[in-house]
Amino acid sequence: MSTGYATIDGQLVSVGPGDTILDAARRCDVDIPTLCHCDGLAPEGSCRLCVVQTGDEGKIEAACHTAITPGMRVRTMTPLLHDLRRDILSLIANQHGDRLTADADGNEYERLLAQVGTNGGNNGSAKSDAVDDSHPYIRFDPSLCVECRRCLNVCEQVQGQFVYGIEGRGERATLKFGDGSFVDSDCVSCGACVDVCPTTAVIDRDRMNGQVADTVTDSVCGYCGVGCRVRVESKDNVVLRINGVPDAQVNHGHLCVKGRFAHAYHHDPDRLTQPLLRDGDEFRPVDWDTAIDWVTKRLTEIRDEHGPDSLAAITSSRSTNEAAYLLQKLFRTTIGTNNVDCCARVCHSSTALGLQLVTGTGAASASYDDIERAKCIVVAGANATEAHPVTGARIKQAALNGTPLIVIDPRRIELAEFADVHLQLRPGTNVALFNAMAKVMIDNEWYDRQYIEERCEGFEELAEFAEEVSLTQASEDTSVSVDAIHRAAELLRHNPTLFVHGLGLSELTQGTASVMTLCMLGMLTGSIGIPGAGMLPLRGQNNVQGNADMGGMPNQVTGYQPVGDENVRERLEKEWGKLPPTHAGITIPEMFDAAADGKLRGLWIQGEDVAQSDANQNHVIAALQKLDLLVIQDLFMTGTARYAHLILPAASALEQEGTFTNGERRIQWVRPAVKAPGESRPDWRVAIDVANAMGEDWSYDSPAEVMDEIARVAPRLFGGFSYDRLEGDGIQWPCPNRDHPGTTCVHADGFLRGKGQLVSIDYEPSPEQASGQFPYVLITGRVLEHYNVGNMTRRSPNLQLVATDQLEIHPDDAAAIGVAEDEPVHLESRWGETDAPAHLTSRVSRGTLFLSFHDPDRHTNCLTSPYVDPQSKCPEYKVTAVNITKS
Amino acid sequence: MGIKLRQYVRTHDSDRQALVSIHDYVREHGKPDADGLRALSEQLKLPVASIRGAISFYDDLNEQPDAVRVCRGTSCMLAGAKETHGRIRDHAPCEGVYCLGYCDRSPVVLRPNDSVVVQCRYRDADGLLNAHVHPPDTPSVWHTVREPIVTARVNHGECDQLEYARQEGVYDALEMAVKHLDPSRVIDMIEQSGERGRGGAAYSAGKKWRMAAQTTADKRYVIANGDEGDPGSFIDRVLMEHDPHTVIEGLALCAYAVGADEGVVFIRSEYPGATAVMRNAISEAYEARILGASMFGSDFRFELSVFPALGSYVCGEETAMLNAIEGFRGEVSLRPPYPAVEGLWGKPTVVNNVETLVNVPWIVSHGPDAYSALGTPTCSGTKAICLNHGFEQPGIVEVEFGTTLREVIETEAGGGRDGTPLVAVALGGPMGSILRPDNWDVPICYDAMNQRGIRLGHGGLVALPEGTDFRALIRHLLRFMQHESCGKCVPCSLGSSRAYELSETLSTTRDRDGFKNLLNTMRCASLCGFGQLMPEPILEIIELFGDQIFDGEGSGS
Repeated sequence: MSTGYATIDGQLVSVGPGDTILDAARRCDVDIPTLCHCDGLAPEGSCRLCVVQTGDEGKIEAACHTAITPGMRVRTMTPLLHDLRRDILSLIANQHGDRLTADADGNEYERLLAQVGTNGGNNGSAKSDAVDDSHPYIRFDPSLCVECRRCLNVCEQVQGQFVYGIEGRGERATLKFGDGSFVDSDCVSCGACVDVCPTTAVIDRDRMNGQVADTVTDSVCGYCGVGCRVRVESKDNVVLRINGVPDAQVNHGHLCVKGRFAHAYHHDPDRLTQPLLRDGDEFRPVDWDTAIDWVTKRLTEIRDEHGPDSLAAITSSRSTNEAAYLLQKLFRTTIGTNNVDCCARVCHSSTALGLQLVTGTGAASASYDDIERAKCIVVAGANATEAHPVTGARIKQAALNGTPLIVIDPRRIELAEFADVHLQLRPGTNVALFNAMAKVMIDNEWYDRQYIEERCEGFEELAEFAEEVSLTQASEDTSVSVDAIHRAAELLRHNPTLFVHGLGLSELTQGTASVMTLCMLGMLTGSIGIPGAGMLPLRGQNNVQGNADMGGMPNQVTGYQPVGDENVRERLEKEWGKLPPTHAGITIPEMFDAAADGKLRGLWIQGEDVAQSDANQNHVIAALQKLDLLVIQDLFMTGTARYAHLILPAASALEQEGTFTNGERRIQWVRPAVKAPGESRPDWRVAIDVANAMGEDWSYDSPAEVMDEIARVAPRLFGGFSYDRLEGDGIQWPCPNRDHPGTTCVHADGFLRGKGQLVSIDYEPSPEQASGQFPYVLITGRVLEHYNVGNMTRRSPNLQLVATDQLEIHPDDAAAIGVAEDEPVHLESRWGETDAPAHLTSRVSRGTLFLSFHDPDRHTNCLTSPYVDPQSKCPEYKVTAVNITKS
Repeated sequence: MGIKLRQYVRTHDSDRQALVSIHDYVREHGKPDADGLRALSEQLKLPVASIRGAISFYDDLNEQPDAVRVCRGTSCMLAGAKETHGRIRDHAPCEGVYCLGYCDRSPVVLRPNDSVVVQCRYRDADGLLNAHVHPPDTPSVWHTVREPIVTARVNHGECDQLEYARQEGVYDALEMAVKHLDPSRVIDMIEQSGERGRGGAAYSAGKKWRMAAQTTADKRYVIANGDEGDPGSFIDRVLMEHDPHTVIEGLALCAYAVGADEGVVFIRSEYPGATAVMRNAISEAYEARILGASMFGSDFRFELSVFPALGSYVCGEETAMLNAIEGFRGEVSLRPPYPAVEGLWGKPTVVNNVETLVNVPWIVSHGPDAYSALGTPTCSGTKAICLNHGFEQPGIVEVEFGTTLREVIETEAGGGRDGTPLVAVALGGPMGSILRPDNWDVPICYDAMNQRGIRLGHGGLVALPEGTDFRALIRHLLRFMQHESCGKCVPCSLGSSRAYELSETLSTTRDRDGFKNLLNTMRCASLCGFGQLMPEPILEIIELFGDQIFDGEGSGS
């Protein structure tokens, strides 16, 4: 919107509200030198290089923070301004001797020196503070620092981390971080400061080596489900460095320590480079033809001998949509079983099922951009700043900018520090808490009556149900005070709210119920289907959303279509030529049970280390050992691969083409940045090879052709998808046809289910109760620096940041068993035992423990139980009764 | 500094008195090491880097404890403070300080027990530290107006006691206003009176109040700026020490007018006496139920406290002051937003100078017309002019705006002390003007002076007698600037250091051109008034007395 016109160096320029002179100048290509200014950040106003003259009297003003007003006459190139800029720059240049010199091809600051010039004669000598190279990635050289504060500003305004500070005043004001060295600071290694530093004073090891890339590839990060777009620089097929794509809708150029820095695993000598076939207790390398022939023969033998349902597949949430689609198609059609599942089962299956039951679709209703639009945010059972760091940073900024934030988590996670209310509930008691909040909202009429009447059903039952809910009982069950429940409910009053949720809801025996009762709050607040509000589950892995979407589900084929539905089957027959059985297959936990019972004979696992990551490890391993055939596609010799009969070397996220679907249903184009090592082969190709070896005639030449088929198989969600539409930020499903722009807000025109279902579900305690012999409750989860089973991040310098899984224990509990920081604690549950070093912290409350599961030597999942949610079959990773002793 | 940290304080429910807590910590444990910083960070719920940065910013947190503080303000410098400092330094912990506000009796020393020694001539530290001295008397205060406004109660006995102050009519205007006047009427009165801020910027007080009142907000603040840092000016110290209840009354009227329920008196640590008196006066006012829940039985609530500053001249600038109160480095922030719109903790905040506030009750009780009848058409009322020890009659004289400088200097101050001819005066502190006698006919009026490029500042006059070493004066000003520059913008922080460096060897006309060039860059390009105005008197000295510095007698080396 223009409010009028001004002139800059004689050029007429339209003036928008809030425009600075610099904004307007950039729009008409007038180049005003700047140093402290950084696009996307608030004006700093300290370097003063952007001085301009305004009006007849030639008033001198800084362009970066002076508003341009209609009628204003701005001059940017007068002799006076030239002198001022040169003088200012000379003052800066004088600070660091000859460490930085004018260079039209140098760094941004050196280019500025060349452009603006100085008065010559650097009298100053370089600042002599020692270089800080304490951090495995980021290095700070004070002698190159020009105190522009961009790093400080980006750290505060994007990452919300406040690592940097200024010490001293006047000439001695210098940049410092934390309380000493970089590695001891609160830095989360996001690397945003490196991106904005104009002099390389702050630099990271990837940018320091100075190697020039021969290839630059835009793709999608292969870690968590946020789906950040990355720009990969590589040389001779080696990843040199990774940057965020500056204008990417998902991450706006931002990345985290994993996505930006932890890429060394690609070229690790441990990478599998050729198929390995079991030979007694050993593996021997074989060529692909041998491998394909062998596996084809074994699959056929087992199917013929024990029936197709004696075989099963787990599609990989780390691999592409196309790979997942083809593997499920192989098992459903060529082999003839619906025994296909994916790791969403052991993370967000409760979320998907819960959402589907009450709203009509199992995915997020909202988008990440709703974080900035939200009037109120609830984060429930999600430690976003560690597990989904870029999204977590956005939530922090929203809270800093004044959006009310309610955090529901048994631990005092970082976001809790930013929250208006932190409901620190006992693990596994979400349903009791949400019911209590609903009761308060209904009793006080704090719900959106009109929304409920127009869009939902089940309110009468809920109101009756709520009458019976006792707040004091809920407070006792959850250990959250009635007052805190009230305060949280009051914050939700009349606020369409964005509900960000995670595995702290899903991975419980009441996982599905937790999600459905959270949706109940989503409906009472009138949030679902409203822009800036709704349900936003944070998906764990880069393509876990896509895996379920593609049909990595035993009861649903591609696009969540029921496997027994006649219309669906009609379409499948046309596209596939063959039909899967009408009965549903089995889920992952059921596969292990069936294997242990000898009913399941063969299992194909595409990129998942179930032996480390799945609950009740001892049971899982026993099951794997009983299989007649275990095929593993992976990057490394994982704990699971050790039990395999055939190991197929896979391509990583940066080594193959395809698509990933992030947690906001956005399908983005993944492109190979480097070649996969040795003979490793992309997963989608392997599925084709096996299918054709088993007699099919699959002739896909590219992942794009697979996507075209997906669009035909599941037109309601994916009908409009085609690679030619995926440039840039991709498209969010549902996207039913080629003219559809995709969907940022699902259920906008009413619930896909028809009416949103308000649920009335009683709280049921987990079978894992802290009592008697096992008086503590253990939560498992991720930390920032590592990713799931650690086979990627533990092969990177992230290991220097966090060496192993530590047991978070309250100092009082540690004192009770006589354990000090870093001393080993012995943990024992009904299901297994292990040791872990103690980390004393009041992040956890007394009686609650937290342990991550990234280190294969930690065997965290020895401890977790076989209990699953009865509806979703999702294991209960988040509640295990344990005992601890000093070991 | 500021925006994000302020948000951080809100989201983290951090200590809102962080600097006070940090000061307590430093007094007890000394400057924190890494572990201490961590502990403070947990205690205050603030980022380590922010605490570290704040500690490094304030003089008081970096000076030796129990040091003798020797005033090195302009007046004391001219009176030989350097020698005093030199004599004491070798025998006792000693810090230089700008400025203790006794310019009428330079040189001045503040002892570790907060007692002030004026006209300090002690030849050694022992004598100074052990001497029994009476607290300094009130300075000579007189006026040339029919009825003094600002200094009316300064010499009236014990107006620092509430009982006596009330007998003198203090709080009558406030009581009348909260009982009978609509808040908007009070703003109207101040606006109609034409009162302008006395801190130096001379912005309409009424307009500022109206801006704060009209900004939608759930809370507003008012702040009395008692950070009178200009060496040469001491009226605010005198007012806070001798008429504290009128300061409170003025601030309370402001709060009532703009709808603020909380106020702060920001007092520089160089004024321990003023801090003690203001604190006592505030507790008296609470006891009398003037402050607190229901002022004079009305439903107007006003809470007031003292913020003891920690040693930084730039904190007299509004945005820097807000940063200090919020617990951060006292750096200036970009404006807009102006404090009246987005001030303390992001809420509309009126910051008024102490002298400005002391005028307010008079305007409310006498009416705006009586006030605007005084002074010039654009500058209503009276101005307290501080006269340093270099005049025959040092002290404070209250004159009507429009009085000429010459009248003040020659008639009221009686010219130079002991008849020494004055080659010039320094008006308005280190950001003010250097004026030779041929310029003294200018009326004391912001606009008349502005037209001539003269800055009244806070209205302090320092005599520059014959024989003044102008090179030393330049170096003094630059050293002050270098010491006080907050470090935010390049021209001021690096420019002041570079200029101080250059000033050591100035001699040729070529030196002069380069030096002037640099000062001009600082003046044109600095972010705030400090960096923009500090070079002005220096440039004027070069203009007026350059021949004594460049290839002239005063070249020193």
